[in-house]
Amino acid sequence: MKVSKPKLYEFLAENGFIIIFILWCIFLALFTDSFLHVSNIMVILRQASIIGIVAIGETMIVLMAAGMDISLAAILGVSGVMVASSIAGGFAVLPAALAGIVLGGMIGFLNGALVTRVRINGIVVTLGMMYALEGVAFVATKGQTISSPAMQALAPLSRGYLGPIPVPVLLLFAAYTIAYYVLNYTVFGARVYAIGNNERASWLSGININRHKMLGYLVAGLLAGFGGVMQTARMGSATGGMGSEFLFPILTAAILGGISLNGGKGKIQNVLIAAVFLTTINNGLILLNVPIYAQKIISGVILILALSLDRLRSVRK
Amino acid sequence: MPVKLQIKKLCKEFPGVTALDDVSFEVEAGEVHGLVGENGAGKSTLIKIISGALASTSGEMILDGKPFRPMSPRESLNAGIAAIYQERSWLPFRSVMFNVMLGNEMSLSAGRMDSRGMRARCAEVLKTLGAEEIPIGSNAEELKAGQKQILEIARALVQNSSLLIMDEATAALNSEEQEALFSVVRSLKARGLTILYISHRLEEIFRLADKVTVLRDGRRIKTMPISETNKDQLIADMVGRSLANAFPRKNPAPGKPIFKVRGLSADKVFNDVSFSLCSGEVLGIAGLAGSGKEELGLCLFGAFPKDAGTITINGKVLPHSPAKAIANGIAYLPEDRKLEGIFLTLPVKRNISLPVLKKLSGAFGRIRRRREDDLAREWTTRLAIKTPSLMQLCENLSGGNQQKVALAKWLASRAKILILSHPTQEIDVKVKFEFYQLIAELSRQGVAIILISSELAELRGLCHKIMVMREGEAVATLDPEKSDAETILRFALGHEKQAATP
Repeated sequence: MKVSKPKLYEFLAENGFIIIFILWCIFLALFTDSFLHVSNIMVILRQASIIGIVAIGETMIVLMAAGMDISLAAILGVSGVMVASSIAGGFAVLPAALAGIVLGGMIGFLNGALVTRVRINGIVVTLGMMYALEGVAFVATKGQTISSPAMQALAPLSRGYLGPIPVPVLLLFAAYTIAYYVLNYTVFGARVYAIGNNERASWLSGININRHKMLGYLVAGLLAGFGGVMQTARMGSATGGMGSEFLFPILTAAILGGISLNGGKGKIQNVLIAAVFLTTINNGLILLNVPIYAQKIISGVILILALSLDRLRSVRK
Repeated sequence: MPVKLQIKKLCKEFPGVTALDDVSFEVEAGEVHGLVGENGAGKSTLIKIISGALASTSGEMILDGKPFRPMSPRESLNAGIAAIYQERSWLPFRSVMFNVMLGNEMSLSAGRMDSRGMRARCAEVLKTLGAEEIPIGSNAEELKAGQKQILEIARALVQNSSLLIMDEATAALNSEEQEALFSVVRSLKARGLTILYISHRLEEIFRLADKVTVLRDGRRIKTMPISETNKDQLIADMVGRSLANAFPRKNPAPGKPIFKVRGLSADKVFNDVSFSLCSGEVLGIAGLAGSGKEELGLCLFGAFPKDAGTITINGKVLPHSPAKAIANGIAYLPEDRKLEGIFLTLPVKRNISLPVLKKLSGAFGRIRRRREDDLAREWTTRLAIKTPSLMQLCENLSGGNQQKVALAKWLASRAKILILSHPTQEIDVKVKFEFYQLIAELSRQGVAIILISSELAELRGLCHKIMVMREGEAVATLDPEKSDAETILRFALGHEKQAATP
């Protein structure tokens, strides 16, 4: 409060990753042939859709300073397995998809109950949950790929178009529109921010902290379940390990998007941009023919950079 | 006037401490009721019970003629009680509107927020408070201290409360802001609100309150109309005189100066503090909450940043870090023992041996168990620490015994200068007096002691001299034999000034 920081510094701390994003896009546009093609951009958005949608739940939890949900990728995995095995077992597509989403919601609810009622640290709860769910997914699939011709009926969710726009991209923007509305224009959203800003003051003002945190975990679970449906649709099959590739980008999208790990601060729209940025990093590295393990190194460095920005943000005074 | 709130035989026990002991009094509707007492008198506990943040152990409350036992802040708010706490309770990164409307967000259909309605209500309340200049769209962190305080009052008004509790509401305000707040309090009273006003600034009580209740050691001492008392009487009631003769004899002959502080300052916390300390001497530091005395204690130990000044020990300048302080025989007993003083999840013996563990260890850093046990046994015996075994975890000990362990650690490391920050806070009376004996004994053995405390009786009973701090300044150094508790409190409150400190 005492020292007024230069505007540029503040701008960079708030939006630094967007600048890195733009520079990266310019670089790719100059050094690859296909980056700016509409088809490539649609590929990026399509890939960003699942990460982005699940990251909304992560964002809500982090905003309330209720911990960090590490299990969302694993929930996505078991939900996907649930959907695929239901369909393979003869269920219709719609009830199978619903079963996947409900399963996600139930696990989210359990996470929330453990955090708010049993009062275990959120990171620990979801770490344990992640491990257990990964096991469940492998046991349920017996290590096999679950696939059946009937799963073609899910394909529109991944490959369908509504006019010129792919369905998953549409879902992505619809989800963010709703999330933006809820966080900014509803009482629930206002209280999510309030709890993250000052939990005790919120409690003393009569807000039911536990109920809000429960809801956060529940919604995160439902969205992860939905992510499982989308990923199953995309692959046309499910495997026990299908969730694991999402662990990193879901967490990173929320953090990179500027959701303060101390809670109470950050904009949901930036999480969307971050999710797109993350897929653009991968997309670009593939276009540049960078080997897969080098991609991991670069992704890891980006997360640390993002956390450094978070630190810059929270260092005030 | 009808009775707004009746408090009947209220008790609150914490493990090892009785915070409220059979407190009864009445608050009439429409009055400003002052609540005063020294730190630890039970004021905060009482208001937490009234506002539903804590549950009482026994006793009852009657609000507007009906039994009232809030189990959560929500219930208390619904009953028309709003509290403005000492602790920071704004949302730093949210706008003024969200801060004021916290917990009372207005909605249209389906949880949709009524932003326009909220903005209007917020503006209306700010206007009632004469604070139209506060920008509704700004984040709370951008506001001045006084404006943040107004936010909290505004929050209480939004709730249409009929009883407002204000706990040290002026603590962070400058004099102009204080005046503004006083006129707000008066206008609220004119609107028919009942106000329970807690402050350690007695002039505020005399300017605002109709009646005043004095608490001391968790008990209600007096309730009377403000017109029937005066500052001197009130101070005497707050201090009491019960413990006067319970103190051990002081070390009659302190030695040579070993510890000197010159011009020590820390930005906006304390300023230009100088004193010297002899071996075997006990120096008390008195002052109200916010006087900077705790930070000064930390700073002497190198654990609070300093801007200027030097500390010398045996003539050598002491580098500013806790590690260097410890190496030079300085020990610090922190105020919050659970957080900083001991390791709750380590056994008693390791808590005691930790600072000297290196000396107790053999080749390759192997701890010699026998020597560690001997050391721990020696100090648990000398300090009469009650523990079933040396392996007992500290979290299972009572508060007083935890505090003894925290002290034993430093005594085992043969500290020459002890800085004690509120050592007897939240421990029961018996252990308190054991502590007093211990302090006197240590000083006779030549240990120099700095005792930071809010209990004037213990400062007077134990110290050779008392430095009084007020708003970061060392305003006086007094001889406890010649100055009574009231004089000390007067300096601490700023009712008296000393021309030059000896």
